[in-house]
Amino acid sequence: MNSTNMLLAAPELWVMVMACVILIVDLYLGEERRGIIHMLAILTLVFAAIITLRADYAADGVREAFAFNGSYIRDTMGDVLKLFSFLILAIVYTYAKFCLRQFRMFRADFYTLSLFALLGVMLLISANSLVMIYLGLELISLSSYALVAFDRDSRLGSEAAIKYFVLGSMASGMLLYGMSMIYGATGTMDLGQVAQAVRSVGSDDPLLVFGLVFLVVGLAFKLGVVPFHMWIPDVYQGAPVVTTLFISSVPKMAAFAMAIRLLQTGLVDMQADWSQMLSILAVLSIILGNVAAIAQTNIKRMLAYSTISHMGFVLMGLLPGTAMGYGAGMFYVIVYSLMSAAGFGMVILLSARGVEAEKLDDFKGLNQRNSWYAAIMAMVMFSMAGVPVFVGFFAKWMVIKAALDAGLMWLAIIAVIFSVVGAFYYLRVVKLMYFDEPLTEAEIDAPVDFRAAISLNGIMMIGLGIFSSSLIAVCMASFGA
Amino acid sequence: MPIYEIVFYAFSLVMLAGAVGVITVRNPVYAALCLVLTFFSASAIWMLLEAEFLAIILIVVYVGAVMVLFLFVVMMLDINVAPLKEGFIRYLPVGILVAALMAAELLVLIWSKGRFEAGAYPLPAPNPEEYSNTKAVGEWLFTNYLLAFEVAGVILLVAIIAAVALTLRHRAGGHRQNPSHQVRVERDERVRLVKMKPEPRQGS
Amino acid sequence: MLAEYFPVLVFLAISVVLGAILIATGGILGALLGHSQPNSEKSSPYECGFEAFEDTRSKFDVRYYLVAILFIIFDLEIAFFIPWALVLDKLGVFGLAAMTIFVLELIIGFFFVWKKGALEWE
Repeated sequence: MNSTNMLLAAPELWVMVMACVILIVDLYLGEERRGIIHMLAILTLVFAAIITLRADYAADGVREAFAFNGSYIRDTMGDVLKLFSFLILAIVYTYAKFCLRQFRMFRADFYTLSLFALLGVMLLISANSLVMIYLGLELISLSSYALVAFDRDSRLGSEAAIKYFVLGSMASGMLLYGMSMIYGATGTMDLGQVAQAVRSVGSDDPLLVFGLVFLVVGLAFKLGVVPFHMWIPDVYQGAPVVTTLFISSVPKMAAFAMAIRLLQTGLVDMQADWSQMLSILAVLSIILGNVAAIAQTNIKRMLAYSTISHMGFVLMGLLPGTAMGYGAGMFYVIVYSLMSAAGFGMVILLSARGVEAEKLDDFKGLNQRNSWYAAIMAMVMFSMAGVPVFVGFFAKWMVIKAALDAGLMWLAIIAVIFSVVGAFYYLRVVKLMYFDEPLTEAEIDAPVDFRAAISLNGIMMIGLGIFSSSLIAVCMASFGA
Repeated sequence: MPIYEIVFYAFSLVMLAGAVGVITVRNPVYAALCLVLTFFSASAIWMLLEAEFLAIILIVVYVGAVMVLFLFVVMMLDINVAPLKEGFIRYLPVGILVAALMAAELLVLIWSKGRFEAGAYPLPAPNPEEYSNTKAVGEWLFTNYLLAFEVAGVILLVAIIAAVALTLRHRAGGHRQNPSHQVRVERDERVRLVKMKPEPRQGS
Repeated sequence: MLAEYFPVLVFLAISVVLGAILIATGGILGALLGHSQPNSEKSSPYECGFEAFEDTRSKFDVRYYLVAILFIIFDLEIAFFIPWALVLDKLGVFGLAAMTIFVLELIIGFFFVWKKGALEWE
């Protein structure tokens, strides 16, 4: 073990130290100076990004390096996902500061817990052993449970936290059970060695197949795909909107990385088995997510069902087992996180004086109240629906193309049909904003950093769409496609 | 060594009985006690595998601390058992269906992919006399699993923050002692000397 | 190694047998010698002659759980010290550094709890 190796984990170390610093600094700050916490958190993210970018570990073209006896891996995929996590978390913090102030919940707990969750996200993205995957996941989950119950006086929030906790623990149990079987069959925790052992044991060893089933179930719970999606709508609706904003964006990237590490790095030889399971999950999610979202009148709940269908698309990228497909899935999950952040950012923007604007009706006539915000929301909705030019279209396009290349025609057809069905409820929001009378004439007011962030976030929907090729190229390059 | 087998089967039986007890007994306190029994038997089985450190930690942490907290919660919480059972019959068919499906899937998997033969996963060879499992855990935990170990520390830290964030609230008008203030108290804060003229006793 | 634990097994066996014997003799003697006259009044709760006002179970303040959870967390922390102490001479400075970071993380937690006033009983 040498120290240069450990320096690979410098971004993680930095985030951990800063989370602790913020924890302690807050103890000495009064209510009125809590803005410092926000500044420190943003600073943490900026420097984490710089440290990540400055890392120089590429040796003869292979951007891949290991530390901590192979339990930690730095590669391009990990770095890109981490950088986007920092970006999205910075956006989330900008939205959150405004929201927490309005709801009189501006406590440092939100920042410390979400920074620790970010640490979990980073560790999970960089995990190269079963035990690190589990620990990273638990770090995210534990912080998220607390964040869901963040508003202690809200009955819905507490209920959501309990549901999330019980189902999440069950999922962790499943995952751990699966991992223990994989460990029993291969005798190693290291994912690279697991792959080798699978090759020598043979991929139809019953213990391995058992383990895989439980792993996929645990994974599906965490991603929130049908039939393991039950917690998503309740948690998204019950949690305070800042928490929903957070858990719907950043951890999804970690969940994607977890799927890649487990299935592609560790169990690549069992691709025939897991591809089958994932295709069922993907189809069910795309169908149920889009159909159930139509019936919703609560926008948080509607976006929750839309998440389920988006995660179905991400799985669709994974299941062909091709480099193209992995790249498409990665692009999709990044795009989804940005869209989700913008969507919940708009909900925060419309929430006034401690009442969340969680009804669809709250968006009525937004164009008359403020046409720029209406335009942003329209861009987000178009992007989520997959209207061409917007970035969401390219994400869907890449995923469907990957499925077609793998000869999964039926899957592609279902995905297209239900994307069209899904477009209905996204466009309904646009219709409400532009063709209905507003329920209130109250002015929409937000601090300048919030306005800047949401404008940037909205412009990304179309900007990333027009210039999508470079991001797609980066995603593809991560998997050598 | 037949005694090894006897002990193994005895504790396995007790463990299974305990596990069944956890989910069948009506009283939640009994269920928690059954769980203690299950943990204890599991720890005995770990001991048979020469994992003595883990076995003892299981007893100290789970039986000693976690289960006491469990019992504490179960006994102190105002749980009315009757409403908990209400949905039981209604959800029973769905539950049985899911359980049957899972069991069927597992059975099919075992049949199609080959069986778990007794010889396929042999007992590990016994360790030499001077082998210490605790030392082995230490050597691995602090070198190969260093990152995992430190992350475990972070998870404990998050657990502290979460527990405090969720449960701690200072109520207005709460009385609290400040020991350092108590110690540092000066005479002037407690005693006031009043100078006054001597007064003659009434009625004398 | 297992041989060293044999006495524990013996004690365990003796305690199980002894417990069974005591319960059995108690039950048998009680059934033979005792008078059994069950009565609903006898088994009803007695509260100084009043009817019982409320259920025996009552909700407890959440602060008790906070103390219990903090106890478990630090209990777990201590558990990590045992294997560490055994192999410290082999691990050397590296092991010391590893444990220092771990303990620092928890000291920060401890400091946080202390400063927040979670250890104080209002």
